[in-house]
Amino acid sequence: MSSSEFEEAFLESAREAFRRDPGVASLDSLGVWDLLGELSEAEARTALDCVFRAHGRELASTAALGCLMAHPYVAEDNIDPGAVAMALPRRSPRRGDRLMLLGDLSAEQVLIDRPGSGATLVPLRELDLEPVANPGRLALHEFSFDASGGRLAVPEARAEPARVRSRFLGRVAAAFEILGAAEGALDLALEHAATREQFGQPIGKFQAVRHLLAWAQCDAVAIQEVCQRAAELDALAPVRFDEIAKALAGRNGLRICERALQVLGGIGFTAEQEHHHFHSRVLALDALLGSSAELANGLGAWLRDARSDPRVPRALLDGGSLA
Amino acid sequence: MNSADLAAYTEGLEKWQAGSPPALLAAAEARPVYAARVEAMRGLMGALYEGGWGRYGWPEAVGGLGGSILYRAAMWDCLARAGVRGMALFEHLEILLPTLCAMARPEFSASVVPEYLAGRELWAQGFSEPTAGSDLASIRTRATAVDGGYRIRGHKVWTSWAGYATWCLVLARTGTPESRHRGLTAFVVDLRDPECQVDPIEQANGTDELAEVTLDDVFVPEERIVGEVDGGWAVAMHVLSAERGTFAWFRHGFLYQQLHRQLDLAAPHNDAAIGDALLDLAAVSATSYRGLRSHEAGIPLGPRAAFTKLLLCEAERSVNDCALALEPDLAIGSRDDETELLRQEYLFSRIVTVYGGSQQMQLETIAKQILQLP
Repeated sequence: MSSSEFEEAFLESAREAFRRDPGVASLDSLGVWDLLGELSEAEARTALDCVFRAHGRELASTAALGCLMAHPYVAEDNIDPGAVAMALPRRSPRRGDRLMLLGDLSAEQVLIDRPGSGATLVPLRELDLEPVANPGRLALHEFSFDASGGRLAVPEARAEPARVRSRFLGRVAAAFEILGAAEGALDLALEHAATREQFGQPIGKFQAVRHLLAWAQCDAVAIQEVCQRAAELDALAPVRFDEIAKALAGRNGLRICERALQVLGGIGFTAEQEHHHFHSRVLALDALLGSSAELANGLGAWLRDARSDPRVPRALLDGGSLA
Repeated sequence: MNSADLAAYTEGLEKWQAGSPPALLAAAEARPVYAARVEAMRGLMGALYEGGWGRYGWPEAVGGLGGSILYRAAMWDCLARAGVRGMALFEHLEILLPTLCAMARPEFSASVVPEYLAGRELWAQGFSEPTAGSDLASIRTRATAVDGGYRIRGHKVWTSWAGYATWCLVLARTGTPESRHRGLTAFVVDLRDPECQVDPIEQANGTDELAEVTLDDVFVPEERIVGEVDGGWAVAMHVLSAERGTFAWFRHGFLYQQLHRQLDLAAPHNDAAIGDALLDLAAVSATSYRGLRSHEAGIPLGPRAAFTKLLLCEAERSVNDCALALEPDLAIGSRDDETELLRQEYLFSRIVTVYGGSQQMQLETIAKQILQLP
């Protein structure tokens, strides 16, 4: 089986698994916990990418992203990878620093990273979690954390490299999930364009509509290619490539949803139509781990300040991704 | 291919560049007069050929030193990072040459390709006509079989670099007028023939890259047919798959450097636009890298090349949007070579969505062949 055939087949099985059960059982059946220890192997890495893309496409609600991001911190500790989920930090302009748990509350412990002071593990049941309503079918819980509580589980010397790795994995995985959710919105629009008739013909015959959809597909291809290069190159990826992948996914993902909505017309803006679930999922994921606007701005500032040459083409050639 | 070989090649080329060879320095200077830019690039290609750097990645049968397209990908990236301003007229190395290597008569390509690689003889592409633009299959230029070859009569327009070129790859009709794409054949016309008239077109950005070519019963011997008689469409598609697919890699390295050069003038309020341009460039890197690897593996990109073409155009625009924001002098006019060159690049970035198949044609390709819309 070629690598693209493997990818296609695994993506389909992951989608099926999430359709059967959008919760943690699907991760068990897909063997996700074993994959986390095997990410240096190309097939395991591709499989993980597919898990997140399918997670978005099927609007699953597992704690996969938090568990993936916790893994680099606790990998040496012989803890079951599904048992710890990382809380994602977020700054609310209205309510200050908040921590977010994504997906089902299946993990027993929550990892809270405190840059400069290591990372803390807190039993989930001890947290005062507030559910946040989001139509993206992703369970979201918010909490604030008193830094004096919890048990220092990972000292700063170990947390520092783990943090870099965790962000890289998390941003690329979130970007794949955005891709999947945006593809869900696009699929709805494609179906609509083929069946909805106006002026006596399917609206997909009109160039104005066809070009909206072609642009959306082009935006999706860009996310997919950038994320795949990021995953293939991994540690050899160009500097800040996780930020590039996440920013591109958020920007393009939102554009895809908007173009799909325009094609769907009024029906796309109803609660009965699925579009808003996909759109809300993309919005929520874009807002975490650095939004597309924040990251693009930060990348621009970095280029300007450091006068750095990002050397992306060179890194791709040197890293020999797809080799 | 062996990635250690590629790394050694890159290291060797960088070392050569570090010695500041005069041909490299000349090609890194801002030269707004197009003819001067062409001369500087001919000199650089000659030096690269002589040093062997320009021969890697091309088949040995045509004077190359073998190895995959990744050598060429590395070479142009190194040249861009060493300050070379663009490919000026050697774009066709990456647009036409792969097709000549694959589809021209072997003896003919063995005789002309080394001349092109060494910068001595240049090439033009004669596809478009006054009444055949996006609708390429409606070409009217006629090729009539005669003893030993064909006589070609017709009128080509928007013929890139014909004013500088020796050879022109011409698409002409060998079938009936109704035969559309089935009745076309690709020929290599010698632009030095007296039956060829080349009239350069002065462009809105001040350069004269394009030209009109009038072919008045010019004779083309059989050995200069490319591909099969009546098989010109396959030749055109081969050319366009390079022009839309892999070419983006070779071009976009220069866009990274253009953005990078402008950073000296940037202020914090430009950050978002600069970041956005970086995202567009990264999309081209990732997508065209896949194009390179497909080419290497002999897998045609087919309609997927349209994505790369669209993404390259987006990057051209966003990098040049930054140029306009950071160097507003380019909008006022030209007082120095650097601004004049930027102005040329900026204006060119507004038309890149037309050449090689307009943006609207790329979108139609995706809508029809990939999305399979009704």
